Amino acid sequence: MKILLVEDSPSMRSFLTSLIEEDSVVTSIEIVEAASGFEALKTLPHHNFAAILTDINMPDINGLELVSFLKSHPVYRNIPVLVISTEGSEEDRKRAAALGAEGYLVKPFTAGELSASLQRLLQVVS
Amino acid sequence: MSEDSSARHEFTSEAEEILETLSRDLMKLEAEGREVRPELINKLFREVHSLKGLAGMLELDEISELSHALEDMLDRLRMGKIEVTSQLTDVLYESLEGLNLLILAMRDSSLESGLDLAGLKLRIHQLSTATGGDSEADPIAEIELDEQTRRSLTEYEEHRLEENIRSGKQIASVEATFDFSDFDEKLRELTALLAEAGEVISTLPAMDSSGGSGISFRLLCGTSLGIAALVDLVGDKASVRSLRRGAETPQALEVSPVPESPVDEEVSLRSLSRTVRVDIARLDHVMNVVGELIIEKSRLESLSKLPEVRLNRPLLQELNKVIRNFDRKLAELQRSVIETRMVPVEQIYSKLSRTVRKVARELDKEIDLVLKGEDTELDKMMVEELTDPLMHLLRNALDHGIEPLEQRVALGKASKGTVSLDAYQKGSSVVIEVSDDGRGIDPERIRAVAIRRGVIGANDPVDSARAHELLFTPGFSTATSVSEISGRGVGLDVVRRNIEDLKGSIEVLSTIGRGTTFRITLPITLAIIQALLVRSAGETFAIPLITVTESLRIERREIATVEQREVLLLRDKTIPLLRLADAFNLADDDDSEDRRLYVVVSRVGDRVAGILVDELVRQQEIVIKSIGQRLKSTAGIAGATETGDREIVLVVDVASLIDHFGGRARDARRHRHSASA
Repeated sequence: MKILLVEDSPSMRSFLTSLIEEDSVVTSIEIVEAASGFEALKTLPHHNFAAILTDINMPDINGLELVSFLKSHPVYRNIPVLVISTEGSEEDRKRAAALGAEGYLVKPFTAGELSASLQRLLQVVS
Repeated sequence: MSEDSSARHEFTSEAEEILETLSRDLMKLEAEGREVRPELINKLFREVHSLKGLAGMLELDEISELSHALEDMLDRLRMGKIEVTSQLTDVLYESLEGLNLLILAMRDSSLESGLDLAGLKLRIHQLSTATGGDSEADPIAEIELDEQTRRSLTEYEEHRLEENIRSGKQIASVEATFDFSDFDEKLRELTALLAEAGEVISTLPAMDSSGGSGISFRLLCGTSLGIAALVDLVGDKASVRSLRRGAETPQALEVSPVPESPVDEEVSLRSLSRTVRVDIARLDHVMNVVGELIIEKSRLESLSKLPEVRLNRPLLQELNKVIRNFDRKLAELQRSVIETRMVPVEQIYSKLSRTVRKVARELDKEIDLVLKGEDTELDKMMVEELTDPLMHLLRNALDHGIEPLEQRVALGKASKGTVSLDAYQKGSSVVIEVSDDGRGIDPERIRAVAIRRGVIGANDPVDSARAHELLFTPGFSTATSVSEISGRGVGLDVVRRNIEDLKGSIEVLSTIGRGTTFRITLPITLAIIQALLVRSAGETFAIPLITVTESLRIERREIATVEQREVLLLRDKTIPLLRLADAFNLADDDDSEDRRLYVVVSRVGDRVAGILVDELVRQQEIVIKSIGQRLKSTAGIAGATETGDREIVLVVDVASLIDHFGGRARDARRHRHSASA
């Protein structure tokens, strides 16, 4: 199972990857990393993603714009999206939901919270 | 936990990178002053935001708390709820240093950061809570924006959109479709192009709207340009549409560039585009054309003086009328072009104040920097060229002028030194003064150094005028030790040369124990200058009027010789004289006692000299053209100009003329000539 992780900070990317890959509950997950919205758009056609995790504040295109694109696309609209953001951005959370994002997670979170969100996200499709 | 420690290690290197970028951006923020770009504030916000996110996940509490407080402040700043103030930039600098300490302490656990985190957070908090006006109305209702796009805007982007609408900007939707293989590159090019015209607020990707396999983007863009200008700018790369309700339809503009109702078109375009950016080279070109027109005008004037024209009264009257009108319009044109090139000196003030702050910190001196006259205007090119000399003078003031703290206290002076930068217009010149309230220039100290450096002999007397002159001598530096601050390998001689290259002058006013002022006087523009045309040994020369204090007629016998120098006694002052003919090796043998001569008294900074010529022709505006390499190194010549009588005239560089030939007695010079010949 492949998951796309869109995040512009390299150390945050590797930290999240290590959290997900070492998660005992959600097994056999391969993380494909994208450092920007552009990279995400370029990567999409080459994989069959089970879920997408994206940060909101990024250069080029932001996480909400990425969600907007995904959710209006005939093929990608079915991939569940978890938007990761930081506390205090209630308005951004509402918008992500209105655009059709399936999940929302606020930094900082624990490994357990991430794992639970991922499970919920993957259940949406199954 | 090894995973945790490797994550921490990765964090420190990324955090250090972020801090480096942050401090660079912070300097830019300070340099931009009141004109700070929203994109820059947002960038700062995003950088702090990343740092906070990382620190939070890794449970680095202190870094997380500090960056969180900063993030809040920057968020309010980018949302327009608070403004950029000097306290705010100070706190930002301090916080960056704090974050640096915390990260250093992470690398090396034996280090204590010693940071007063609570105090710093409190100050950040105080600055963040300054109230700003939240507006009630929803400006976005003024534009046509579909729900999907609106939802994709982050809060910040929405705020920027509102700001652009409020300030009356055109809001354009720019749509482009690119091939999937290189859309990122193409989109960045388009974004950069649009950023020149305004602000790119949002970039929304979409399915290829043409049904192909590419990808489309819709950019939301706020701009002062009209839609037509934007269409011109992006060309066939994208389609442009105004989102303002009731705005002109893009189809009409794209399809028929010649509008059907020109009046309406003009009105709507004029209301939208209030400013344009122009390459200075284009203005230079316009200025050159103006210069050529001035020459044409002088030709017309010469025509009107021809005998056959003077005899034909109706023709003469008509010609004079044309000349008068031409003259008026030309003056108006010239004034407008000069005004277009003018920018307030404020543009460099912010850059300079940053340097002063930094240097003061390096020297551990407390300084009040007083900036005055920031709206004084000067030619854009000159403002650019002034940065380095002013920077140098400010460094000098801080390093050599302002005494160390203990010394100031012992002298009963305010412990905080004051350095001020003052610009003002004086006639057709601009004066910029760099002053300090420090120790002043002590001629005895200057003399001692000059003797040590071999600039003067051991017994040469040095009064204050001579001391000031010595300061500008190549190789002279009063720094007792070559400090990092002033010891940059350039001295005041370079400063003076820079200023003189701009046809300006620099002088020193100083009182021991009270302080020093360096006063720079510059013409407002270099493009066109007023000059006095003179004749010497049958040749015409132009002397820039800015250097001329007066001109008078004398007889040969009034010239006195003091210590082998030709001088003129003028109202109790002794003025060294120099003969233009001698300076340029022109034959001029009439030395009879009753010969009539003119003295053009010229002054460049502290240096005064009387230039001896045979005749004063007239005053005229000239455009200085640079001259070939061969003449370039010739002392005393600044360039050439055409006067309208189809005559090429050399423009005198008074500063270098005085330096090279000032006050040498005629006989002594002659003697030297024949000896070297």
